[in-house]
Amino acid sequence: MDPVLEVRDLSVEFRTARGRIKALRNVSFSVQPGRIVGIVGESGSGKSTVLWSILDLLAGNAIVTGGQIRFEDRDMLTRSTQEMLALRGEDVSVVFQDPMTSQIPVLTYARQMRDILYRRRGLGKARKREMSVEMLDKVGIPDPDMRVDQYPHNFSGGMRQRAGIAMAMLTGPRLLLADEPTTALDVTMEAQIIHLLREMQRETEATVVVVSHNLGLIAELCDEVVVMYAGEVVEAGDVRDIFHHAQHPYTRALLECDPARIEEKSHRLPVIPGDIPDLVQPPQGCIFAARCQRVMPRCLTEAPPLVEDGQGGYARCHLLAGPGHDVNWPPPPEVLTVARGAPATTGAKAVSSEPLLEIADLNVQFNTMGPVWAKVRGVKQPWVTAVVDASIKVHAGETVGLVGESGSGKTTLARAALNLVGSQGGSVRFEGQDIRGMAEAAFKPFRRDMVMMFQDPVGSLSPRKSVRALITEPMKIHGIRNVDPDHEAERLADMVRLPKALLSRYPHELSGGQARRVGAARALALNPKLVIADEPTAGLDVSVQGEILNLMAELQAEHGLGYLIITHNLPVVRHISDRLAIMYLGRIVEEGPADEVFAAPLHPYTETLVRGVPQPDPDRRRTHVVVKGEVPSLLNRPRGCDFVSRCPHARALCHQVVPPHVTAGHRRTHACHFPLGAASIPEKEGSSR
Amino acid sequence: MIAYLTKRLGLSVAVVFLVVLMLFSLLQLIPGDPATVALGPRATPEAVARYAEKMHLNAPVWQQFLIYAGNAATGDLGIDVFSERAVTTIILERIGFTLALIFAAMGWAMLLGIPLGCLAAVKPNTWVDRITGVLSVGTIAVPSFLVSIWAILIFAVNLRWLPAIGAGEPGDTADQLTHLILPAFAVGLSWVGYLARMVRASMLEVMGETYIRSARAFGLTQRRIVFGYALRVAILPTITLIGMGFGGLISAAVFAEIIFARPGLGKLIFDSVMARNFPIVQGGVLVATSLYLVVVLFSDLLIAWIDPRVRDSL
Repeated sequence: MDPVLEVRDLSVEFRTARGRIKALRNVSFSVQPGRIVGIVGESGSGKSTVLWSILDLLAGNAIVTGGQIRFEDRDMLTRSTQEMLALRGEDVSVVFQDPMTSQIPVLTYARQMRDILYRRRGLGKARKREMSVEMLDKVGIPDPDMRVDQYPHNFSGGMRQRAGIAMAMLTGPRLLLADEPTTALDVTMEAQIIHLLREMQRETEATVVVVSHNLGLIAELCDEVVVMYAGEVVEAGDVRDIFHHAQHPYTRALLECDPARIEEKSHRLPVIPGDIPDLVQPPQGCIFAARCQRVMPRCLTEAPPLVEDGQGGYARCHLLAGPGHDVNWPPPPEVLTVARGAPATTGAKAVSSEPLLEIADLNVQFNTMGPVWAKVRGVKQPWVTAVVDASIKVHAGETVGLVGESGSGKTTLARAALNLVGSQGGSVRFEGQDIRGMAEAAFKPFRRDMVMMFQDPVGSLSPRKSVRALITEPMKIHGIRNVDPDHEAERLADMVRLPKALLSRYPHELSGGQARRVGAARALALNPKLVIADEPTAGLDVSVQGEILNLMAELQAEHGLGYLIITHNLPVVRHISDRLAIMYLGRIVEEGPADEVFAAPLHPYTETLVRGVPQPDPDRRRTHVVVKGEVPSLLNRPRGCDFVSRCPHARALCHQVVPPHVTAGHRRTHACHFPLGAASIPEKEGSSR
Repeated sequence: MIAYLTKRLGLSVAVVFLVVLMLFSLLQLIPGDPATVALGPRATPEAVARYAEKMHLNAPVWQQFLIYAGNAATGDLGIDVFSERAVTTIILERIGFTLALIFAAMGWAMLLGIPLGCLAAVKPNTWVDRITGVLSVGTIAVPSFLVSIWAILIFAVNLRWLPAIGAGEPGDTADQLTHLILPAFAVGLSWVGYLARMVRASMLEVMGETYIRSARAFGLTQRRIVFGYALRVAILPTITLIGMGFGGLISAAVFAEIIFARPGLGKLIFDSVMARNFPIVQGGVLVATSLYLVVVLFSDLLIAWIDPRVRDSL
């Protein structure tokens, strides 16, 4: 069969002040009709550039320097503007990455979808609306007839992505492109969207190209995979071959770095050392040579051969053919090919018995209207409770993972602990002293001992300060004068393994991993006892996130730090946490030792998070979606258990009574009337507080 | 929505009240007896006494203020000292000329400035953009009274295409319109530049948004993307600017009305200040302020009408 899409030798360059970035070099792959092909790669791999090249919608400074993109036997690159306008949205359509920013906020869905149908002149306005309603219904939007007249901001994140898929499928395109379709969504939403995409593909028999860094998504959704690294295709093939018999060392390393694939708990995560090469002057030979564990002298000088596997797949590597051929490559799956490094701690970690941070029954409320207006309208509770009766302890030398989806209140809890937002009840103790609601002047000394590592590493650094100034800023703030700032900057850079040459750089010149290191250095500048890290790996590539987490583990071992790690990423955090606390709608629903919680969840929501992550294994695809719907708004908290509206095991009692916190077994607590696997765990009634 | 309107109207009333208070205190702060100030130094004692009685000048100050504020609230802005006609009537006679001037000036500035800004943003760093940029800065920098004088010299004196002064024969709309052209041109010119710059800046920002790329990916035409999508978002800050600009336009109109001898509100206030005709100054400023508040409120409501996010948060 002729391929629907065939990319041949595509090369794209970007003109920048530093010179021409050779973003794509001789990229070739083809897509057979009715297949789902995944393009996988880390940031800088050029996977999005491929996607936008197909639509001829590259940024203004991009130049296509060579190659062809054949769609149904005609080259896209030679089509006129008029022809491209007729094609986009009609024959080729796109599902976008972030539904929050990719839909215009000031037009209703009815209008946006009518505009997409503008080429169908024969259809009346009413018919176009009807088609939109039908399509919204098909993607699972309730009350589509009413919803179609709403605006994007009236939709929740998951619903918006559903609507985005509806817009893309509206014209019945023959080729659907999806650009990181689940990256902006929560875990439970991700599973639903993957499911929906697969269903829509089956129904319309469209050909789909998915671009993603998420191996789980690729394994779960795709038939074939194209692996890209630094602007080149390094390997391509059937999804099972790629995930089970990866030929290229990069593919192999990428798979090994994915924490979701590592079954046993591991305090040290594997990493691919080094950075992506500078594409202004791409290195000779193999593009991956500088970071490859199996690099040979010829890799640095000679371009690797393309070796086919006889089933349509291929990889480019000297290990597979020619003089460098190694019959023992690739090694069996259980052998690790990438560096993991020595474990930071030998044996048990030194965990103190007295808690460093002890939060008990903390409540945080946010006002929804002014007090006067609330009186006028007769609203008795003009607030929402973002954190409800939360209790959590962190000991010195211990790592506690606080896990939940967006809107679960995990960041609010951390901010309340640090006195950055007011709290309305309960207590926060640091080394035994109650610090809740302390005046800022009295609290300031505590800020040296308990610090926050912020989520957005670049956004939380002042763009006009050098790295040197940034990492010594905490000393300035706390008026520490008897130190040499230059010496301190170098000491801290050493501590977080940041090359000293970077000290005079500015935040925008740093890579994501380097910016995280600066953030860590700032947090550690004053030798704190407790570090609260907000999503320490969000936005980092798989091969880099291990480096940051390993660094954090090393620093903990050296300095006996207590960590509270806030994240939505359960697979990552379970490897480095001693204990996990799972949060839903402001309540901690389960807490206990990390491996136990992960292996045998008691609360159905924990189970959802554990099972909700798409597995990077095409043989373990889920056939059904574990949990439906989305996190409800704080404004209409369900009656009874907070999770009742989405819980697959909910019974009558759950709708009426808020489940109390119950201690179950060894150091485990949960808030569920009917905990999973309850029979096997001896239960003991009573409050855990 | 209703809560929002109530709040905004309440705030507007508070602003007007403050303005009334300031205008009233101004009269109290001027040295000398208000009656003498009003009637002049050569007024007879009887006349002063009669005036003081009529104007409640013998009552305590706070009572005087309440009487004034109460009258103003019912539309009675007092009596002109010279003609003894009601101030409200005099202002109503004149305000039409000012409103016509302001709306004509802003109207043509919008009709030209907004498309120019769009054009410059859609073709950034081309000759269209550069010329628009230079012209914008140029027109912003030149004060409107200078433009007025040049406009009279060129179009009225040398070319004799348009009348130089006055507002035209009452009742003759065509004549009134020809008299409106030059002042509206002079007052609006710098606004063409302002609006072009403003629209260009916000258009450039919006054209870089992800949803514009989405619209392109769905194959929408450039025209629909620019005018149907991007402008709808980019115009929002411009509307606020225009609303606020009306305050500036009222003072720009003073110059134009003096130079072109148009019998508008600005000229009325100016003449009354010169003649120390305080009831008219007070009334004129009060009306101008209220007008401004109405326009600002209107522009905020317009934004809410265009942007559903703002509408839902009201």
